[in-house]
Amino acid sequence: MNAIIQTHDLTKAVKGKSIVSNVNLNARKGEIYGLLGPNGAGKTTIMKMLTGLIIPTSGEIMLFGKKLDESAKDGLKRIGSIIEYPIFFEHLTAMENLRIHCEYLGFYDERAIHQALDMVQLQGIENKRVKDFSLGMKQRLGIARAAITRPELIVLDEPTNGLDPIGIKDMRDLVRTLNKEYGITFLLSSHILAEIEQMADRIGVVRQGQLVDEVSLADIRQQRTDYLELVTSNVQRSVFLLEHELRATNLKIVQDNKIRIYDAGITAGQISKLLVSQDIEIEEIQKHTGTLEDYFYNQIQGGDKHV
Amino acid sequence: MFKLMELEWRKLHTRKVMGEAVIYWVILMILPTIFLQFVFADAPNIPLGESYGAAMEIMLPIQMGFLLFGASLVNHVFIEEFKNRTMALSYGYPLSRRRLVMAKTMFIAGAVYLCSLISFVLAGITTYGFDLALDFIEGVPTAADLANYALRAVVHAAVVALASLIPLFWFGLWRRAVIPTVLCAIVLMQMQNFLGWFSITLNADLLYAIMSLLGLVSVYLSVKFVNKLGDL
Repeated sequence: MNAIIQTHDLTKAVKGKSIVSNVNLNARKGEIYGLLGPNGAGKTTIMKMLTGLIIPTSGEIMLFGKKLDESAKDGLKRIGSIIEYPIFFEHLTAMENLRIHCEYLGFYDERAIHQALDMVQLQGIENKRVKDFSLGMKQRLGIARAAITRPELIVLDEPTNGLDPIGIKDMRDLVRTLNKEYGITFLLSSHILAEIEQMADRIGVVRQGQLVDEVSLADIRQQRTDYLELVTSNVQRSVFLLEHELRATNLKIVQDNKIRIYDAGITAGQISKLLVSQDIEIEEIQKHTGTLEDYFYNQIQGGDKHV
Repeated sequence: MFKLMELEWRKLHTRKVMGEAVIYWVILMILPTIFLQFVFADAPNIPLGESYGAAMEIMLPIQMGFLLFGASLVNHVFIEEFKNRTMALSYGYPLSRRRLVMAKTMFIAGAVYLCSLISFVLAGITTYGFDLALDFIEGVPTAADLANYALRAVVHAAVVALASLIPLFWFGLWRRAVIPTVLCAIVLMQMQNFLGWFSITLNADLLYAIMSLLGLVSVYLSVKFVNKLGDL
């Protein structure tokens, strides 16, 4: 599987209250893994534990096949991250911040610093103090810092938060470029499905501190549920006919006048022809496709909403 | 470890910190003269001006002023880093929190020690210079006085460096509160006077030994509990 991140029953409790419980997350080399969940679900806490910012209450983190804990943090050398928002020593210049970062990691390559700044299109600001940067510039500088040492994994928490539409697109392109051209694995989080959908290869759904699902987008697309929705005033008779004449086996009555037919072999034409022949009025018949949004809504809401 | 200490220095507002140190040096340079020439000049029961050996007695408590500089460094190196969340950057590097706290602590202790030592030298030279002009100390400094002063400076600078870490655990790491950290330093600085107010007689050297020990205990507790208390 070539896992870069593996967690086993990862748990964080504060004052006896579980914020994250028994998370078993697996991110593979080279993929863009998205953590999706509503605000307060525990995504940031998971990321903080993975990047050494907070210490888990229990459970285990394996980074690059080696256990991560306070006495063994070597794995962090191979990670770049921005958690919550890009933090810098605001009174220092961009260059001073990047140099200090590199020195903490034992990385001494002045050229790489300039390359990283070029990559995020931040030129000519080397000697500007970070406190004078806009949020978008800080976000770019954060990415430059995260990528400067060519890490194998970059962890980005809500990377597009606070960015304007152009900034969001740039960020998305940057993540894709770093992933495709440099083979960097990404772990991203977001509470916005569309954002994750556009970037991630696989998604982990976080709900109330638990990882409730881990699935690839390709798999979800295959699982999309198509159905026909029939609106009629004579539901009972229609169901009888569909079951006996068209051999429908997968039906669901929703509300008083709607029937959903999930059988793939039955067409809208067949249903129309049948019901018209039996003098049953059809108010509406329409084909529906279950969306990714429906899928995740179900996951996040715990299946309260039926597709 | 020296590299980590150097990085702590580079992360600071270096000009601001240097400015603070210069202000302390200037104040502590002239305070002995003010006390010897003006405050205690008419106090025969406090015969500090009778010789250079006696005058030295005032140098030690005055140099405790660098406890405030220590409190300021605890603020910059720990409290501000927690409040600005820049501590998160350090936690994300491949070094343990304990090693990080040790590096920060050694940086503070080293800086306070060095500044305090320089202050002893500056205060000594300035006091001697003013004495040449104003003649408030009887006699001239002997070789024994100078050697004793040098020895006391080296030892006392270490006392100040260690005592400046007393607020570290409770107010720096745990409560992360600036004002109590500074107040704690002021109380420690004035401890001898406070003891006097309560008619408690404690040998000054014993007091310094206790303060040094408390500083070490504070460092020990900070390193021991950083994994529990250091979360952001």
